[in-house]
Amino acid sequence: MNFDFTQQELMLFKEINDIMFGLARERTLEEKDPISAESLLREALDRLAKTSYLKLGIAQSKDIPGLCAMMGAMEIVSSCSPSLYLSIEMSTRLFGRIISTYGNEKQKAKWLSPVLYGKKLGAVALLEKTMNIDNDPMATIGIRENALIKISGVKNYVINGPVADFIAVAGTMENKPALFIVEKGIKGLIQGKRLETIGLDGVVISGLTLENCQINEDQIIGQFEDKSILTTLRIWENQIILGSCLGMMKSSFESARTYAKTHKTGGKPIIAYQEVGFKLAEMLTLFQTSQLFAYRAVCAPEGKNRDFEVLTYCAKVFCTEAAEKVSGWALQILSGEGYISGNPAERSYRCAKYNQIAGTSTEISRVKIGDAAIGA
Amino acid sequence: MDFDFTKEQLMFKQEVVRFAKKEIVPRVQEHDLKGEFDFESFRKLGEFGILGLHFPEELGGGGADVITTVLAGEALGEAGVDGGLTLAYGAHTFLCADTIFRHGTEAQKQKYIPKLASGEWIGCMGLTEPNAGSDVASMTTSAEKKGDKYVLNGNKMFITNGPIADVAVVYAKTQPELQHAGISSFIVNKGTKGFSAGPPLIKMGVRTSHTSELIFQDCEIPAENLLGKEGDGFLMAMQTVEWDRSALLAPFVGSATYLLKKCTQYAKGRVQFGRPIAQFQAIKHKLADIRIFGEAARSLVYRIAWCKDQGRPLNHLEAAIAKLYVGDWSMAPTFDAVLIHGGYGYCHEYDVERIFRDSRLAPIGGGTSDIQKMIISKLI
Repeated sequence: MNFDFTQQELMLFKEINDIMFGLARERTLEEKDPISAESLLREALDRLAKTSYLKLGIAQSKDIPGLCAMMGAMEIVSSCSPSLYLSIEMSTRLFGRIISTYGNEKQKAKWLSPVLYGKKLGAVALLEKTMNIDNDPMATIGIRENALIKISGVKNYVINGPVADFIAVAGTMENKPALFIVEKGIKGLIQGKRLETIGLDGVVISGLTLENCQINEDQIIGQFEDKSILTTLRIWENQIILGSCLGMMKSSFESARTYAKTHKTGGKPIIAYQEVGFKLAEMLTLFQTSQLFAYRAVCAPEGKNRDFEVLTYCAKVFCTEAAEKVSGWALQILSGEGYISGNPAERSYRCAKYNQIAGTSTEISRVKIGDAAIGA
Repeated sequence: MDFDFTKEQLMFKQEVVRFAKKEIVPRVQEHDLKGEFDFESFRKLGEFGILGLHFPEELGGGGADVITTVLAGEALGEAGVDGGLTLAYGAHTFLCADTIFRHGTEAQKQKYIPKLASGEWIGCMGLTEPNAGSDVASMTTSAEKKGDKYVLNGNKMFITNGPIADVAVVYAKTQPELQHAGISSFIVNKGTKGFSAGPPLIKMGVRTSHTSELIFQDCEIPAENLLGKEGDGFLMAMQTVEWDRSALLAPFVGSATYLLKKCTQYAKGRVQFGRPIAQFQAIKHKLADIRIFGEAARSLVYRIAWCKDQGRPLNHLEAAIAKLYVGDWSMAPTFDAVLIHGGYGYCHEYDVERIFRDSRLAPIGGGTSDIQKMIISKLI
């Protein structure tokens, strides 16, 4: 047992922190304009690629810190910008991890390396009509025609969809789950309108329609024998969301704490009032509990039993609900200051709901945890 | 970071679970109903080695590290041992015996630790007073030095093991004008003239632990019963917090595991509307929340234990966070457990009723949740 980060990991955190705060000094990190958002994303990837951040959890080497450090590093990026964080993670920790885990050497050279070096942007098109992949079968299908495969289907809520260079499209081929890698500009790929969302202002998200998109055999990952690939993708997505929650809680808490120490009323800083001081205490309690929970969940060994999955669902429920509470309480402490757009607490409060509905929703997570308890 | 235990630690935990299920749990409900301390179980805890687990072997202990000691506490909760017995164990081992072990002279250690570690003697700690709870410095119990004796006067309140203890570690003011710095700590033996305990208080929960007032009326004790130096008492009391925030919280973590098992068993067997209630999402939701609490709490407790094993000074912020979380949030799983059991959960026959009552002490004992919030808000 060890609750410390290593010196190497702490150094990495400092590098990432410097990069992100450097970027924040130069540019607005929650860019609403899609062109600016894409340019910011590519700039951030380019800078982060100078560290091992993009390789965390993907590339195996003794020089690359482990999964707990990955979560710690994710927290830093998310605390600076939830939107930028999510866009980066969907490219690296989801698309990149798919290629790294399931791709062959040729596929890794073609799609993984450019993503890990921050040169190209990835996306994963998983969802269809709803955000539920457990009950609704996937309609996207690949049909083999001679040496080519034709992909057809409609995907929704694709983060980085309009700007990605490579998209891993989940679907089925010959009744088996498969992932089809389509590249930007492919004929038959129709970008939907960018979706307006309650939070995550800087994320470029849209639906995608694939109309007989033709790909080669070597653009298929899979076919998988069962649907467990979808569960794995959800677990990775949940891990990304855990990092998002930690960052939101960090920025909300710090914003509220700073304000409570500096804003005076009745002749004393408001932190001196128990209503405020105690609220901050509860916020920090939830934040630190979430941190340890997320670290443990991500470090748990991936075995054949379901405990690793269940622990991730537990952490997902806890951290996502904690993030909403902490950002909400931060807003309360910040009062009018927090209600103004751009404050980290206001931003986190709007973004927090995404984390509860994305990945495995808190409701479905609870059902899965309950199922595991009763042995269903 | 690494959250794994050693094989030996995990094997020991399982041994404790097996031992407790066989030797202790069968008597828990009966003793709770009667509000009686279970001397036999306490003696068995001593025989098994739990009461002195972390003390050196030469003093009759097990020489275990803090993590192992915490796992033993968790195992007791996981086996279904009641909060009364685990509280009695905590007060005995960590608040009384450990204070003597850490601050006592060699002679004091040799005299007290082996008998406390074996369970032959039962220990308690007297800090709280009728009008001095969270505000320790306002205590009024005094210890006046007269020649080679100290004369104690005052009352202590809510003292776990008070009526049954053979040995008490008692905090009293030797220099009242110095507030915290005027508090000293003493060992007081049962039967000392002028020292008595009130009758056991009738409590809502943890009913198998006997709690009472301690009364000191011109109680003369030898000067050699002073622990450490005069004025060190407050620091000694604060040092027990390390154990309070790890080993004493651990049974609540284990109890969540126990509750989950009990609720799952019940929900799978209870049929309503033609199917086991475990199949309803509302029940699964509650089972999930019980599991989530246990998983969230355990790392906070292990962190305090691990830091203590590393020889680091207590991080008061992390300690207060662990206590606040476990204290405030441990009640919800017991509430859910009673709800899952419905009318049966409200009856003593099903032990979730007892666990519900026992858990209510968590945000009160060992520093209330409000005090933890006060500590945290000052430290941030």
